[in-house]
Amino acid sequence: MIVKIADNITSPLGFDTATNYAAVLEGRSCLKPHEDKWNVPEPFMASLFEDGAIAKRFSAIGGNVHKYSRFEQLCILSVALALKQVPHIDVASKRTALVISTTKGNVEALDSNYSGPGNEYLGYSAQMIAEYFGFTTTPIVVSNACISGLCAQIVAMRGIESGRFDTIVVVGADVQSRFIVTGFQSFKALSHEECKPFDINRQGLNLGEAAATVIYQKVEGENHNCWMAMSGAIRNDANHISGPSRTGEGSYRALRAVLEGVDISQIGLVNVHGTSTPYNDEMEAIALGRMKLDKTPINTLKGYYGHTMGAAGVLETVLSMHALDHGIVLATRGYEQCGTSIPVNVSAQHRNTSAMSFVKLLSGFGGCNAAMLFKKGGAA
Amino acid sequence: MDNLQDILKQQIIDALNLEEIEISDIENDAPLFGEGLGLDSIDALELIVLLERNYGIKIKDPAVGKEIFKSVNVLADYVSKNRTK
Amino acid sequence: MNWVRVRKDSVVINGNMLATESTGQAMLKEVYKKCIGDYPKFFKMDALCRLGFVASELLLQQESPRVVNTEHRAVILFNRSSSLCDDRNYQETIQDSDNFFPSPAVFVYTLPNIITGEISIRNKYYGETLFAVLKQFDAREIHDIVCEAFLDSMTLDVITGWVDCESDDDFEACMLLVARDENNFTPEFINEI
Repeated sequence: MIVKIADNITSPLGFDTATNYAAVLEGRSCLKPHEDKWNVPEPFMASLFEDGAIAKRFSAIGGNVHKYSRFEQLCILSVALALKQVPHIDVASKRTALVISTTKGNVEALDSNYSGPGNEYLGYSAQMIAEYFGFTTTPIVVSNACISGLCAQIVAMRGIESGRFDTIVVVGADVQSRFIVTGFQSFKALSHEECKPFDINRQGLNLGEAAATVIYQKVEGENHNCWMAMSGAIRNDANHISGPSRTGEGSYRALRAVLEGVDISQIGLVNVHGTSTPYNDEMEAIALGRMKLDKTPINTLKGYYGHTMGAAGVLETVLSMHALDHGIVLATRGYEQCGTSIPVNVSAQHRNTSAMSFVKLLSGFGGCNAAMLFKKGGAA
Repeated sequence: MDNLQDILKQQIIDALNLEEIEISDIENDAPLFGEGLGLDSIDALELIVLLERNYGIKIKDPAVGKEIFKSVNVLADYVSKNRTK
Repeated sequence: MNWVRVRKDSVVINGNMLATESTGQAMLKEVYKKCIGDYPKFFKMDALCRLGFVASELLLQQESPRVVNTEHRAVILFNRSSSLCDDRNYQETIQDSDNFFPSPAVFVYTLPNIITGEISIRNKYYGETLFAVLKQFDAREIHDIVCEAFLDSMTLDVITGWVDCESDDDFEACMLLVARDENNFTPEFINEI
């Protein structure tokens, strides 16, 4: 079995998983309106780190802020805190690998006004992060739009399952920039208000910054009280490079693949993408309906964090695990009234659950969709 | 190429990379979206940028775009009434 | 195992050179017009997608009958430059505050995995699509990740390879179609392409 042995969430809500979980339980969010930020002409709502917050933390762990970009610092902070939980891991071993999930990495380095360290190549950032910790295997950067965080975990699962590696560290991260914000604005995809996932009045998404790490390792049997990555699948809509499929095709097929032979009544939660754009949430509701998951509790964490892009798949997986550890299906912040053609089981309140398995679902540009099934060891 | 309809057609062809289409292929009254030119939602957003860049027309609501992109005639009429440059 | 290699000044299909008269972007257009021709969306694509699209079309033309409309085929591609070629074009549309017109048609291509979507849309492939970025070309890594992709029992074959576009006229693609249990698919084979 492939089990999670450590994790971290580093976000504007806090620098470790427990702090993040506590904040979300209280219903807090760092979504704020930003004006004149990065010289973006139109104001936008986003969940961003305070200026200098990442560098301050990075200095505090002894990192050189003149050597690593903001993106690299964020990744390193998250990985460092996860690795601290498992000091016995031999990072330098040929049997240990690093998989990085990001969409844009250091893209802000393309701006002619950029004066920070590093360059715009993802492979360069990956090398910087890997060398910081002393990884000796080639770091892989999975860059698969908004589903990168699940793809990276699937690549990691396979790397362990095939016997190539014993331990894989997966970190997902993205920092926001003028580049990304203006792009989403040009798509008319951003909401000026806090996003309202699955709500009848949803108008678009909010962007967010975060990093999250999960460390997977192979163990025998299921009697270990750890979260297990059971299966994962990636499927394409084969429909349009930016618009989601009207039939939820890829999401449905990804769900079908990971739930093959699984008793759906045992699934306690589907943590969906729920970006809050009109089309995404509608598409997901259709896919859930087709898979007969419309009665299963679902939630999305975009109302707390915004869309954290490369971090989303890892962050949302880790937080869902922690919530289920506490017997909680987290509330969908921002949701009030059902706004999809297929009603799904979403709630604005935290709910109790005894279930110990859940599905994580994501979709993204390029028509890509991914799903993973997780189950807690020792559970029935 | 001196009337606004033809100018707009050329700008649309250039902005949307309609490499194999010529001005004479676009009818003044024919729908821009749907069948024909094969335009999609990204093209609609790009046309909104075209109007702002070339004519100083700002369209905040994509639904308004849908109305004015009905045909080259409708678009030319809207541009001539609302242009600021 | 069919394969294709496209460089800025040459196209090779299964070891046979395709005669071309131009180089760079003009060559990609020339090959599109000469060998493909029925997909005007090609002209809307950024340079990375044009490269990947032409390579995939030439590759799939070797297959008889050409497989379409399937969930059994994955598209797993790699490169070094991610979508930086198009990223730079998008940056140009926002660099100047006095000439600030962010282009959605350029922005949509600022993700490297869009090419895997373009190939899927063209051929109605509902299977896995994955894009990974490496610091440099690494046949062993590509080989291992593709082999592991067959752990998904739905996947029966994979369009894979290297599709890298540093700038409009500096690019390289090698693409191959690998079936499950293909014995000849080795890092050495990838290197030889």
